[in-house]
Amino acid sequence: MPEHLRNMLLIARREYLEQIRGRAFRMSTIGLPALFAAILGVAWLASQGMGGNKHYVVACQDPALANAVRDQLLGQKEKKPTVDVIDPTAPGARESLTRLAQSKSVDGVLIIHTHLGGLPTASYYSSSSGDFITAAKLSEALNNGLVDEDLTTKGTTQADADAIVKGVTIATFLVKKDGSIVKSNAEATFWKGYVMAILLSMTTLIYGMNVARSIIQEKTSRIFEVMLATVKPSDMLAGKLIGAGSVGLTQILIWVVAGAVLVASPLAAAILTGQYAVHFSLAEGILFPVYFVLGFLLYSSLFAGLAATCETEQELQMYMPLAAAPTWLSFALIVVIMNDSNSVWAIAASLFPPTAPIIMFLRMAAEMPPAWQFAASIALMIISIWAILWISSRLYRVGILMYGKRATLPELVRWLRYS
Amino acid sequence: MPVVQLAGVTKTYENKVAVRDLSLSIEAGQMFGLLGPNGAGKTSSIRMMMGITLPDSGRIELFEKPFARKSLERVGYLPEERGLYKKMKVLDQLIFFGELHGLADGDARKRATDWAARLDIAESLDKKTEELSKGMQQKIQFIGTVLHSPKLIVMDEPFSGLDPVNAVLLERTLLELKEEGSAILFSTHRMDQVEKLCDSICLINNGQAVLSGRMREIKSRYERNHVIVEFEGSADFLKSSEIAEAKNFSGHAEIRLKEHGDAQKLLHEAAAGARIYRFELVEPSLEEIFIRTVGGKADA
Repeated sequence: MPEHLRNMLLIARREYLEQIRGRAFRMSTIGLPALFAAILGVAWLASQGMGGNKHYVVACQDPALANAVRDQLLGQKEKKPTVDVIDPTAPGARESLTRLAQSKSVDGVLIIHTHLGGLPTASYYSSSSGDFITAAKLSEALNNGLVDEDLTTKGTTQADADAIVKGVTIATFLVKKDGSIVKSNAEATFWKGYVMAILLSMTTLIYGMNVARSIIQEKTSRIFEVMLATVKPSDMLAGKLIGAGSVGLTQILIWVVAGAVLVASPLAAAILTGQYAVHFSLAEGILFPVYFVLGFLLYSSLFAGLAATCETEQELQMYMPLAAAPTWLSFALIVVIMNDSNSVWAIAASLFPPTAPIIMFLRMAAEMPPAWQFAASIALMIISIWAILWISSRLYRVGILMYGKRATLPELVRWLRYS
Repeated sequence: MPVVQLAGVTKTYENKVAVRDLSLSIEAGQMFGLLGPNGAGKTSSIRMMMGITLPDSGRIELFEKPFARKSLERVGYLPEERGLYKKMKVLDQLIFFGELHGLADGDARKRATDWAARLDIAESLDKKTEELSKGMQQKIQFIGTVLHSPKLIVMDEPFSGLDPVNAVLLERTLLELKEEGSAILFSTHRMDQVEKLCDSICLINNGQAVLSGRMREIKSRYERNHVIVEFEGSADFLKSSEIAEAKNFSGHAEIRLKEHGDAQKLLHEAAAGARIYRFELVEPSLEEIFIRTVGGKADA
């Protein structure tokens, strides 16, 4: 085996074993999915309880409309609220109603004003102004109530009117490229893409930062000079990236295997059928590790260059959010991608190397992009990785032997020229 | 056979010339001292020998061939800025260093165990580096340097931070390695150690070699104008016109004669007022030569 390859693998093995044996690896392997599950669980529990135990007052001169609105509120899927209907025509009724909201005797008061020959107007009084979810529910209930009342007034039976107001559910199907048609669930597919994108960004950033932290630690422990007498800086950097990247892949593999075991269990099977059914394609199975490796190499080589120019971990922390900004940008583009996954912005972001891994997975959740776009994004990522590695390895080569002060921008330019 | 040879090597950083036109040669089985005040260019010279930095001009040869990284497999290097992986176990660390120098896992393990016994740290092999004292860590660093039986050992300030017992142990080990045929180069501020251990020296100041050659030959260049006198009685002879400088430690005087000062005349003057137990004309110490050569600039 050539000497430089042997050294590179020795360094990768050392890096891999040190991280795998560390407590941080065990904690994050178990802790991250647990944290993720806890967040999702809390969100789900909160959504189940939303609207429950609420107490509303609906005040309207038209008792039929008031009752229609009440029925709509009581007919919602979530936990049912308590709804009182009152006639607001009594003198001082409006003041006493707002006092109810002020004293928190009720959660809110909906006052509906009817106008002859026109649409009614409505006001909602509550001691909490930020509850936009309740406002949206009340608005939906009022509109449905109006339609319901109008239909029954015009002779439609109550049952038919209720059915019309309830609306029609659209079953979604995905027509594949080979012409086959499968039942699809847009919501579940979105969440699948979202979870994969989060997994990709988290592991990429965590292991990229691990590389940076490891460089700073070695710089602080002054081990570089001992190593440089035997190993070329480029081999050291490559070994470090291979070692830390392998740790990331190992962790993902553990999660995938654990996930597969969980999915195969009867409980998970019961949960993941029906509307939550999620299917993973072969393309996703292949592209996930490809984008992980490319994303990891891109960010970790960037972090490695940054770390070589820093003196302490604290100093490094200051730059990290800046270097990780493209990841946050990717998630900020979710709405754009979900709205039209083939828009110019979506395609551009999926070709732009720092955002490509996450955006591609979000786009794949909506619709499989054409092969040339995958090829172009992978090619652009490889070129960028090469360019960043070129710069980072030069900064690394000089920076790891510079102690005592932080490098200024002109100094960094000179470092690039030295090597 | 020269193990390492530098010919007209120059290295400049920004506007500062770190090493200027430096030439030196070290033979197999030779102990070589690289001396100089702080910032003289010792570490820069050593780093170029190890291929960590490249010279701007000049030639560096290892084992009679132009510098190549492959040659570093036969070199052991202990830098001034020492470092070990803190979380790693000592034995694993030594095996790792051995493997980087081309040793097989089993061979590296055996050598590490033997060396640990030789330097009296066998019980530390299973401990993590961070659990050990600084002196112990220095011994481990030294083992990492010599584990692969290098033909050239380069050490930057190897004695700094060592207590007297371990310093003597290191001196003894270096002499053994020299006996086994290794060439050893080290930089230090400790003149007594250089005087005791080195066959040859190179004194550099402001990046330039100001004095180099075999120790004996260098010392012989300086006239024997130092006198040690042990006496009882009057110390008036210390005011003699033959003396340039004198230190009197109650009955023990160290004297530097003026240029062409007459030692015989001084002996007569001393004997006139005191009983003389010892009157010895000695060559200048290396420290004296060092200070004289680099002037008042040395802060060592």
